[in-house]
Amino acid sequence: MGIEIKSFATLAKYLPENGQDYPIEPGETVRSLITKLGIPEKDVTLVFINALRSSLDSEIADGDRVGLFPPVGGG
Amino acid sequence: MDDALKDGILAAAHPGSLPWGGTGLVLDVEQVADLAARHDVPGCEIEALALELDVTPTRYLRNRQSVSPKDQILLLRSRVAQVGLGGLGGALLEQLLRLGVGTLRTADGDIFEASNLNRQSLSTLSGLGRGKTRAAKLRAAEINPSATLETRPEFLTPETLPKFLEGCTVVVDALGGLTMRGHLQKAAAAASIPLVTGALAGWTGYVAVVMPGQIGPADLMGTDNGGEELLGCPAPAVNLAASLMASEVFNILTGQPTLAGKMLVTDLRSHTFETVSL
Repeated sequence: MGIEIKSFATLAKYLPENGQDYPIEPGETVRSLITKLGIPEKDVTLVFINALRSSLDSEIADGDRVGLFPPVGGG
Repeated sequence: MDDALKDGILAAAHPGSLPWGGTGLVLDVEQVADLAARHDVPGCEIEALALELDVTPTRYLRNRQSVSPKDQILLLRSRVAQVGLGGLGGALLEQLLRLGVGTLRTADGDIFEASNLNRQSLSTLSGLGRGKTRAAKLRAAEINPSATLETRPEFLTPETLPKFLEGCTVVVDALGGLTMRGHLQKAAAAASIPLVTGALAGWTGYVAVVMPGQIGPADLMGTDNGGEELLGCPAPAVNLAASLMASEVFNILTGQPTLAGKMLVTDLRSHTFETVSL
């Protein structure tokens, strides 16, 4: 079992095809995940894991739902 | 209550059939306007007084089972500040006026241009070049003249925000872009009032309520403009965010917000709705 990735707005284009069930390695963090996905760190302003705000250094475990959110301010 | 006003309301009211069964006294919109003019009282106050007399203003008949008379009176006597009359702001204005918020204080220094037509409900072909506050005035007069709409045709600054918020119960962040949102959040905290905020880029949006001193989206999003510069803001995403914001204004005015300290993240391509704790 992997993780579920949700990437929003301008980050949607980085979502891998297997984003619903994405394999992770032991010790995987949000930072190592977004590096693998090719997302520049500065483009991620909000990370949430299982609906809790987290940081780039947060560890990810199998079964987690990871949300990646860029700067969004339109009205 | 002024006896002449009370007598006036009861004389103008008439029995009508009620959507939930039976009959009761109702007060038509023309009578509200007439009483407001004769007694020099805002229409929203006539409506609040009518509800206190168990007379339902026709305008609110179909809301009565969703908005209790007590809550409707609270709305009619409340004052809400709203910064921005663009995409979010136009849709919010419409909803808050129809819900019956008695006094709305709004600000926007912009004028309508053709590129607003994709989403901004106050923008029309015949109104291109018109000030957004002017368009708001025209729309409010068309849909709810009982509400008092105060307009400031200017872009607010950190210096002018505190005065703008004076006397308001809640402030709505309907700004475009990220540059002013942090200043507005700080001004709301300084005024000790809740902030209802929302923003979007493409089909993605978020809505949050920031209680004074709490962390909010403005603390996370930075001040450079965001993904909306590239992705724009399609109408369905704008109107969804505006509806969520309007309902949180209602929740705050009548009780408790559901999104205090949280952020509801939405995406209309994947139909994702997730409430994140900040």
